[in-house]
Amino acid sequence: MDYKKQEIKQGITVHNINTDKFKTNIVAIFLTTPMSRKYVTFNSVISSVLRRGSKNMPTQEDISKTLEDMYGASFNNGLDKIGDNHILKFYMESINDEYLPQENDNLLKESIKKLSEIVFNPVLENGKFKEEYLNQEKEVITQRINARIDNKAFYAKTRCVECMYKEDPAALYRYGYTEDMKDINTENLYDYYKELIDNCKIDIFISGKNELENTLKMLNEDENIQKLKPRKAEYVINDIKVKEEQQEQSIEEKQNVTQGKVVIGCDILFDENDLKDENLRYEALLYNGLLGGSANSKLFQNVREKASLAYTAGSSYVRFKSNIFINAGIEIENYEKAIKIIREQLESMKNGEFTEEEIENEKKSIISGINLIDDEQDSGIVYYYGQEITNSNVSLEDYKKRVKNVTKDQILNIAKKVKINTIYFLRN
Amino acid sequence: MQSIYNSKLKETLYKEKLQNGLTVMIIPKKGIQKKYIIWGTHYGSNDNKFIVPGEKEITEVPKGVAHFLEHKMFEQENGVNSLDKLTSIGVSANAYTTNDHTAYLYECTDNFYEALDEFMDYVQHPYFTDENVEKEKGIIGQEIRMYDDYPEWRVYLNTLEAMYHTNPVKLDVTGTIETISHIDKDILYKCYNTFYNPSNMCLVVSGDFEPEKILDEIKKRLIDKEQNGEIKRIFEPEEESIVKEKIEQEFKVSKPLFTIGIKCKPANQDEKVRTHIAIQIILNVLFGESSDLYKELYQEGNMFSAPSISYEFDESYAHILISESANNPDDVYKKLKEKIKQTKENGINKEDFERIKKMLYGDYIKEFDDVTDIARIFLADFMKGINSFDYIDEITEIDLEYANQILEKYFVEDKMVLSVVY
Repeated sequence: MDYKKQEIKQGITVHNINTDKFKTNIVAIFLTTPMSRKYVTFNSVISSVLRRGSKNMPTQEDISKTLEDMYGASFNNGLDKIGDNHILKFYMESINDEYLPQENDNLLKESIKKLSEIVFNPVLENGKFKEEYLNQEKEVITQRINARIDNKAFYAKTRCVECMYKEDPAALYRYGYTEDMKDINTENLYDYYKELIDNCKIDIFISGKNELENTLKMLNEDENIQKLKPRKAEYVINDIKVKEEQQEQSIEEKQNVTQGKVVIGCDILFDENDLKDENLRYEALLYNGLLGGSANSKLFQNVREKASLAYTAGSSYVRFKSNIFINAGIEIENYEKAIKIIREQLESMKNGEFTEEEIENEKKSIISGINLIDDEQDSGIVYYYGQEITNSNVSLEDYKKRVKNVTKDQILNIAKKVKINTIYFLRN
Repeated sequence: MQSIYNSKLKETLYKEKLQNGLTVMIIPKKGIQKKYIIWGTHYGSNDNKFIVPGEKEITEVPKGVAHFLEHKMFEQENGVNSLDKLTSIGVSANAYTTNDHTAYLYECTDNFYEALDEFMDYVQHPYFTDENVEKEKGIIGQEIRMYDDYPEWRVYLNTLEAMYHTNPVKLDVTGTIETISHIDKDILYKCYNTFYNPSNMCLVVSGDFEPEKILDEIKKRLIDKEQNGEIKRIFEPEEESIVKEKIEQEFKVSKPLFTIGIKCKPANQDEKVRTHIAIQIILNVLFGESSDLYKELYQEGNMFSAPSISYEFDESYAHILISESANNPDDVYKKLKEKIKQTKENGINKEDFERIKKMLYGDYIKEFDDVTDIARIFLADFMKGINSFDYIDEITEIDLEYANQILEKYFVEDKMVLSVVY
């Protein structure tokens, strides 16, 4: 695999992942903009309206038929929230020409053309978005927002984040808010769209058997990409920041669940001194692995295997906000018992009750995950975008080296700084 | 070793049936770092009633044994938990149970052979005690409860409930908290000894391997075991009719979820793949992203995603499933019925048929990218007596007339059910 990037215009970066491991090519366009309460719902509705039709494929049916005809090229759009940024993601995946029954197609070029058209050249009506599409998509997004309660584990996780971050942009729900819908119309949405396209950070990814030069040539010939202006891209660089200690809070909510869902949000209270260490995130990654990242972790072993309290019990590390989230699905009456055991695990990490061998094992499993990035087409894109948004340039080899170099003392330093911020419990 | 090359996928399958009856399949992928191995037994949640080879009496076990066994296989007599051991050497291991098979697997980039020692050791050495069986009931109990909170899972199981009178496919793979309470170590050993015989198993490997070498490595790690005879599986004969047309459950979801089921007769062995492809084409023509029906329902504001469509089948059952969320599932159901009727009268549109064929061709190509998908597909198809390469070869052969026949034969109005969770 060969990764190269190049800024084609100010604020617009092309990332070329040249690899012959896959039968497919992926084209992805990411629009990155700061997360704000004012525009979170606008972004969500835009993402949805764009997939309804472009200038040359004005209906969804046109888009679908075109894609089916391109040997089932698939189009996907999504919204992501990374740190304090909101990202509108658009993907198109198509098979490599080598695997087509007939020759002389150029599906990659065709995919770039179709995707850029959907994102940058929407179908309009009197110079604005189409009324019919907007009204339907507002309804789609409203329903999606309301659907958050359907997946109880996801609901519990996002509620915990909201309770922790309150007014901070990181608390915002990435699909937006139903009460904003009434203020969105075809005109203000299109005005905002133009502003977004002119000012956001744009990243274009091409992954497949393809040289950077060829990518640049194809993009250069693409009329929708030609039209994009240079910009001083507005977005938030996700650095690890100093964190203040918060008063621990407990929140309990009731819904018709049969299993109780516990989510515990923890802060890693980094101070000025810590920030001098450029390997903090690798240390925190190892801490998380030992605490709840795998089947060998303290949480899995003690909450599930020893106490038989749960089927799911683990933790995840969110580096952009320096958080650790612990989650477990339990019998409601076992709540106190589970919390007690979880607290004991955090304490035991603080007391350094983990061996060099366990650290080595955890490193192996993280490194094995890094090795897989090459073998999974999406993972490559996610990894390089993560580098881009944190303004870092760590190669996969370097990444592995940094993980290998983490010491027990460094993990212990993290452990001592992990502090529970919010205990959220969803019960019946 | 037999080798089969597919020129469309540019992949080769190496296959060998060993003396002890174990089938080994190897799909080499040059230059890929990831290695994936999966070992499956043709034993799933449907196999609750059977005759042990050499016995005369029928054995009947509680629902959920296959899945329970899967959980317990990791525990070893020396106190080691194999899942922990594999995790500790940096490989990612797992297991799962379906209606017709149970599979153990791991993937890694390094330490493949070290992991293979542990992997092949634990699958061949069960260790059940009264105590470790009791402890697992708490964990599986929480797994069952977790699924109880998934409306997607409830709407699916209810569909099967509405379609099947007796076939065990309608039961939850995990069993229930009540049925698993009857499981003990003797039952586990009995099922293990019956179904985990090499002649009832298949092992699939994909990654950067030399076929001969990996085959030798596998053989070296097999313990001596005699092939046992045929396991007779007993299924109550299933009536052709459905149980009831509509089934509903309250769940307080934001928008109703529905599954439309169509009960079918399983196809003959030599027609399984063709039938499957034809059904996929028909479903996409009737109700896919580009269909008139979906467009109409979208514009009415009834549903906002094209439904997910599938065809599930085994020796003893076959059904079509169409699932999504909709504000008014009854209307979706009614319109689909009309659409089927209309399409039967006019025949499938030629242009749509060709376009969807192209799409599926691309979909089949995509399935053969990742070593995980490749190995899983080969294993799952093997359990159904299918060679996975057949799909890409058959799709170019299939014609409109055949699709129309399948439409007539499989999409039968009085075999349709509607399940709704609201």
